[in-house]
Amino acid sequence: MTQAGWLRWGSLVALALAFAGLYVRVLTAPSPGGFAPQQTSRVASSAPLYEAQLLPNSTAASVHSATAAEISGGRLRAFWYGGSREGASDVAIYTSVYSLRQKDWSPERVVVTREFAQRDLRRYVRKLGNPVVGRDSKGRLCLYFVSVSVGGWAGSAVNLMVSEDEGETWSPPRRLIASPFFNISTLVKGAPLQFSDGTIALPVYHELLGKFGELLRLDAEGHAIGKTRLSWGQSSLQPVIVPRSDKEAVGFMRYAGDRPNRILIVRTEDGGVHWSPPVKTALPNPNAAIGSVLLSGGPLLLVFNDAEENREDLSLALSKDFGNTWRVVHKFEGDSRSTQAPVPEYSYPWIMQDRAGDVHVLYTWGRSRIKHVRFNRAWLESRR
Amino acid sequence: MPANAIFGLLGCGLLSLAAAATLIRLRRLPVRARYAVMLAAALAVFVPIGDLSVAAYVRGVTGDLSMATLVLAGAACIAQLGGKTLIGRRDLRALCWLWLSAAVLLYPFALGWTPFDPYSQGYGSIEFLTALLCVTLAAWWARLYVIVFIVIVAALAYLVGAFESRNLWDYLIDPLVSVYALVRLMAPGIVLRQPASQSP
Repeated sequence: MTQAGWLRWGSLVALALAFAGLYVRVLTAPSPGGFAPQQTSRVASSAPLYEAQLLPNSTAASVHSATAAEISGGRLRAFWYGGSREGASDVAIYTSVYSLRQKDWSPERVVVTREFAQRDLRRYVRKLGNPVVGRDSKGRLCLYFVSVSVGGWAGSAVNLMVSEDEGETWSPPRRLIASPFFNISTLVKGAPLQFSDGTIALPVYHELLGKFGELLRLDAEGHAIGKTRLSWGQSSLQPVIVPRSDKEAVGFMRYAGDRPNRILIVRTEDGGVHWSPPVKTALPNPNAAIGSVLLSGGPLLLVFNDAEENREDLSLALSKDFGNTWRVVHKFEGDSRSTQAPVPEYSYPWIMQDRAGDVHVLYTWGRSRIKHVRFNRAWLESRR
Repeated sequence: MPANAIFGLLGCGLLSLAAAATLIRLRRLPVRARYAVMLAAALAVFVPIGDLSVAAYVRGVTGDLSMATLVLAGAACIAQLGGKTLIGRRDLRALCWLWLSAAVLLYPFALGWTPFDPYSQGYGSIEFLTALLCVTLAAWWARLYVIVFIVIVAALAYLVGAFESRNLWDYLIDPLVSVYALVRLMAPGIVLRQPASQSP
């Protein structure tokens, strides 16, 4: 055979083999199989409980974007970012541990600095941003955090660290690849979930030219292996997803479009494969993050800024029909009795229920502290 | 260091070397001087200055590069070092049209303009694979072997997980090669001029 013949038929054989490998990969990939069952809490009858405290902060002038997970030994572990100001190169991600029994937070300590991220990601990193924490199917604590190499938050990428010892030590960070455009403009704010096949469903959003939400699917090693679009265009971000069954879930998104400023809602009835187009709820939204959780046995709770223009009010709304109608049952901030922060901004709420049934809300308090509110079902019943 | 970090840094380093060799028009130098300059450039690109190497700074901006960019960068290095063009004009023109078409299909929709997201197809879609197979077979039929070669190399790299991404699009195309294709097609005179010699 001539050289041209070898090139012609050899390239065809190589092409056939390469595509055989690609087709086998696609045809043998497992499907997500819907959302994994949610944690159930045993709710003991008790007296109403409602308490609030500020988390320790001995160094950072500015803190923001708290996230938390329940860990072993009846504790919560919270994370947030702090530094001289948002976007500064000295911003680090901090952690503190809360004892559910003793009801106090440990002194904060640094988990990730810009220098640490830069060294282990083996690329330049200019600043750090939002962390969110969750668990994978092996029960390991997974910390996702935003980093930026060039530009503002529109230049963000998401990274993942894993802890096998409830957050005492961490694996080196790994970069998640979620965008074809230099992998920039992917951020996190909502809590990660699990699919039935053990993969993770991570709500993310993009801010480069458009503003829209997606649900990223991650494998056991933290590689993005799929994604579904939750919205499109230029006005929706920071999705929070709350499943009710393996097939049914509701999602809420921050709204950054034209008036009226309202929280957006999306729904799925096939385990997150398809989502309804986003529509406005009756609840206002001043272009600010929201938090939501479905309590064991219902109802659905939502923490949000109850205003169209500012973040000076942070409220709790309750829905008994999985997000169709809402009733505001409490103001965390913004009423005349609460102590006002020097900068009256209360934002970026994170809400979760622990195994004992108590609800925990963490949020940015005046940009200078993270505040923790804990209440139980008895208190919530008293507000209905 | 994880294998995909090594591949990623090598790719960004190769791009830096190709850019440096092309900008200084290495092939005008005597042969020995070309190799000496490339060796010095390789040291400058891969040896860390402080915490990071030049390749790591480039990777911070671009992320891991597609096989299309790497093949182009490798061909540019060889052209500057040996004076031999590996990618003929016909292949390059076809490649540029293909990259530009793919970029027009991919980037606007990936930036959230509509509910349709072609990027998500790259995680594993029979339809996407079949379309790619048809395009590659058409290139093979037209004897555009560089396109066939790039697709094969990208597929193999994807199958072994050479880079951080598990999306086939990221192995096939990136914004740099898209911009290159656009400039090359719109203003061919200002992009790398082909050396006189052609591949066999």
